[in-house]
Amino acid sequence: MKKYVALCIGFMMAMLFVVAGNSHAEGTPFIQVSIQAPTGALKMGDRPVFKGVVKNTGQRNLQGLVVYLSLVSLKPGHEHPVDLEDWSAQKAVRIDQLVSGETNRQDWPMRLIQAGRFGVALTIVDPLENRPIVSDLVSFKIQPKPTVASGRILPVAIGEPLLLLIFFGLFHWIHTRSRRLIKDVQIQELLHERKL
Amino acid sequence: MRYFKTLVGKECIEEIISSRGAALYIVGCGVLSVFSLLLVSNTELSLLDNAQAVYMMSAIIIALALLIAVIRGSDGFAGERERETLETLLITPVSSNEVAIAKLMGLIFSWLIVFVLSIPYLWTLGSTGQNLISAIIYLFVAGTLLVVIFGGFTLALSARMKTLKGTLSIGLSAFLLSGSPILLGPSLRQSTVGRFVDLINPFSNALNMLDSVVVDSLGVLFQIIPLAILVFYTIAAIWVLSMAAKRVEL
Repeated sequence: MKKYVALCIGFMMAMLFVVAGNSHAEGTPFIQVSIQAPTGALKMGDRPVFKGVVKNTGQRNLQGLVVYLSLVSLKPGHEHPVDLEDWSAQKAVRIDQLVSGETNRQDWPMRLIQAGRFGVALTIVDPLENRPIVSDLVSFKIQPKPTVASGRILPVAIGEPLLLLIFFGLFHWIHTRSRRLIKDVQIQELLHERKL
Repeated sequence: MRYFKTLVGKECIEEIISSRGAALYIVGCGVLSVFSLLLVSNTELSLLDNAQAVYMMSAIIIALALLIAVIRGSDGFAGERERETLETLLITPVSSNEVAIAKLMGLIFSWLIVFVLSIPYLWTLGSTGQNLISAIIYLFVAGTLLVVIFGGFTLALSARMKTLKGTLSIGLSAFLLSGSPILLGPSLRQSTVGRFVDLINPFSNALNMLDSVVVDSLGVLFQIIPLAILVFYTIAAIWVLSMAAKRVEL
């Protein structure tokens, strides 16, 4: 009898270990994802390429993975998600299949159109899982770069139409005034002739 | 020849002393100001290279000059007809061909004013970049040829059509059609039809020439084909104008 009880307890403990082991497997991420910012200083107008890496660390083959890029402004007091419309032509990538142990690398070219501190992250959605996997947030700084000299444009943009307006205004004023003067002189001459 | 010179002088001076001419230049200057301010205030546009900004500004300057040429060209004969001064003009000791040439020279003069007014804008946008001098030279060449083409054809229309409204509407429609490179953008010009339209459209040829000179820094040899097309249209416009001037509708 004791033998049976010991066997039952042993079996139950083994089952518990299996269940515990499975639940541990469910908790560990089966995909590793990371994104790397380019080295060196970044400035507005640059087109750096961010490198994304997705690795299948699980036992099963994955299919139809969707990887997408998220960008967030980290400017203190003005933190907000950034619409990638003008920043990146490639906002998402679909990985048809990623077999167990395989690594997929992607290039994420971006056009830097605003200065400030930003953070970028990759998110992976597996159609069979209900929890997306997000990479670490990689922060980077963009230096401002004015290409067109705005300081010089303002005087020309405002000054030239104004100068033109003054020039034509004066020209017309002088022109009309001289015409009126000529008319007045002619009238006076006519009156003088009549008097004579 | 003396009368011809007087007529040319009158056509040019009228440009400055008439309030309509003055208004056109002030509005034109305003357009260039708004566009240049847009170039610096818009986040995306302000990231353009100086050369790209100069090219875009040149395209706007050409469009503005052509608009003025079409408006003034329509008024050339049709306006005189409506003001009932055409008959008086035609009985002066100058031939109708000389009248047409004098009016065309008036259009070229108005283009020269637009060109001079546009130089400060080009300088502010492009002096720190490359190819500014080439841009100004090619803008002058392309602009002059285009003004003769559009002005010549519109003047010819004006000589043959009875009303100013009719001439103006046809002239503006032709201007809009040929201005499609600016309106459509580069992506729609990549198709076969787009490329064909680009090849036969003088406006497109001028823009492509400016693009290759200012943005791509290509030499004169690469500009031979667009220049040849522009010269061909210029000769055609002068010929059409001289034909139309011989049979001016009264």
